[in-house]
Amino acid sequence: MRSLTVTEAMNEALREEMRRDPTVYVLGLGLYPSAGDSATGGLVEEFGEKRVRSAPMSETVIAGSAVGAALAGMRPVAELHLADFAFNALDEILSKAGKWRYVHGANHGMTLPIVFLQGIGGYVSAGAEHSQSPVALYWHFPGLKIVVPTTPHDAKGLLKTAVRDDNPVLFFTHKLLDDAGPVPDEDYLVPFGVAEIRRPGADVTVVATSYMVTLALQAAANLERRGVAVEVIDPRTLEPLDIDTIVDSVHKTGRLVVVDEDTQRCGVGAEIGAQVMERAFAALRAPVGRVANPNLPVPYSPPLEEAVLPSVARIEAAVLATLDSMR
Amino acid sequence: MEPMPEEQLELYTLMVRSRAFEERAGALVAAGEVPGSWLSGIGQEGTMGTICQLRPDDYLTYTHRGAYSFIGRGSDPGRLLAELLGKRTGYCRGKGGRHIADLEHGILGKSGTIGGHAPLAIGVATAIQIRDGDQVVVSLFGEGTSNRGTTHAAMNAAAVWRLPVVWVCENNGYMGNVPAPMYTAVADIAAMAPGYGMPGEVMDGNDVLAVHRAAAVAIARARAGNGPSLLELKTYRMRPFGETSTDLRDPREAAAWLGQDPIERFRRRLLEAGVLTDAAAQAVDEAARAEMDAAATYALESPLPAAADAFEDLYA
Repeated sequence: MRSLTVTEAMNEALREEMRRDPTVYVLGLGLYPSAGDSATGGLVEEFGEKRVRSAPMSETVIAGSAVGAALAGMRPVAELHLADFAFNALDEILSKAGKWRYVHGANHGMTLPIVFLQGIGGYVSAGAEHSQSPVALYWHFPGLKIVVPTTPHDAKGLLKTAVRDDNPVLFFTHKLLDDAGPVPDEDYLVPFGVAEIRRPGADVTVVATSYMVTLALQAAANLERRGVAVEVIDPRTLEPLDIDTIVDSVHKTGRLVVVDEDTQRCGVGAEIGAQVMERAFAALRAPVGRVANPNLPVPYSPPLEEAVLPSVARIEAAVLATLDSMR
Repeated sequence: MEPMPEEQLELYTLMVRSRAFEERAGALVAAGEVPGSWLSGIGQEGTMGTICQLRPDDYLTYTHRGAYSFIGRGSDPGRLLAELLGKRTGYCRGKGGRHIADLEHGILGKSGTIGGHAPLAIGVATAIQIRDGDQVVVSLFGEGTSNRGTTHAAMNAAAVWRLPVVWVCENNGYMGNVPAPMYTAVADIAAMAPGYGMPGEVMDGNDVLAVHRAAAVAIARARAGNGPSLLELKTYRMRPFGETSTDLRDPREAAAWLGQDPIERFRRRLLEAGVLTDAAAQAVDEAARAEMDAAATYALESPLPAAADAFEDLYA
């Protein structure tokens, strides 16, 4: 099978969906002339400036106009560049895209098929306002589907599913997920709400998304040498969440660690941990562990950034802590 | 160009029906039938001079105020009042209240944030442009909304992309009870238009034929693909901010504006021109009142939603 990066896979997904459906269009900053190494590379050259729209410097315009166009029958893909910048469009994303259909009682079969592309992640000395991973923020609000792909295969299949979904979808990709991976030649979709077990193991369940999967797999490989079998689960989408796969795994292992690059408070770990306690408390043999940013802005200098963001060593320590429990 | 006499009569009838709706909605609020409130547009019906010129396939975004957007587009007053009463038969099945969408008539819904509709309006216009359509989007906003960044960002984008948008500022001079000079640096919102490379025009918003003339030009320009325009309608709200709010404005000012009531002025003009007779005017009033009474009866007799309905409509 051929090999593509996440960026190349997303580019292919957008190209195929735009060819398939004339209502799909892309808008964002600097799409013309297009940058060859971006997810939107080459699109304006193929589809023209009407369907590949370079927007003014306004996330409000990018996200808000996507909502309006969706109401008028289009399927916009709004490229917001970094999640940090998308904060400028929170009203448009949270209160317009997320609530419009509900508040208006699905008037006249109203749908909001929008994809909001957002880059996330630190580890690149980009500083506090270019390194955030505020996925849980969006998860807190109703009406938004949340996709956090890890592999090029999933990035392509999930993006195609996102474009075809009749609801607003937030699609988060990490800056460091640029390793090439196998992508089928033939057309395929990856469904929402189906987790992938990246590595099976019987001792401790680790749930991670995006670049955290990479770190979790490294931790799992290290722990295997110490005789600990870690099961790494990648939910792939948080809304909808495949909680069943996580709960099934916890029934087997009795131990859970959730790894999240975002600030820990009210985060992905808190939500998944609570859901597992509600559904499988009796199976837990140790407190649910969380590895996340200890509620700090992401600093610039590498040793500071390393101290704040999750690391392989911290994941290993959290896994071992669940095994120390006496329950 | 002035509209033909029969068009003027239609426009007049729409304004009277809108007023009758507002009065009926206000009465329902006063009677305690409305769980929320209603923001009356009485006094601002001159805006109908823009709305009445839209084609059935055009689009409209509206402010939080007034019934003329709905009455002008052909919405069903019964379903509007049912929504206001939180009934299951309302346009939003009781989930919106005065935040109403009527997509069938090109009314996209209501932003809960002031100015939130401006970016949506340019999105609709984007859809029209991508499809090579000749529809237009009329986007109403208040002078207070001109303070918001969303308004400015959307106006810039509309001009850059030459989108078929007509921005219509209903300048009623107040944000709640606060007079415009306390929050807006320029007297005329239309003065912002050159900053975004589009035509801007100030007019007497209570002279519906003046509004009609200016809107005809702006709509034609947008429809021809020549980009957005900004119209500013100077007007006055003859009711408090909301039907349950206290009006702290100077009552002498309100009294002075009574003589500028857009419906009264239009009525006098039509009577003088012989387009309307006293008897015909009375018939229009009575028909409008009867229509809105029937709409209120429908709304009052409609069922409330069931608790289970709260769990529907989130996802398509």
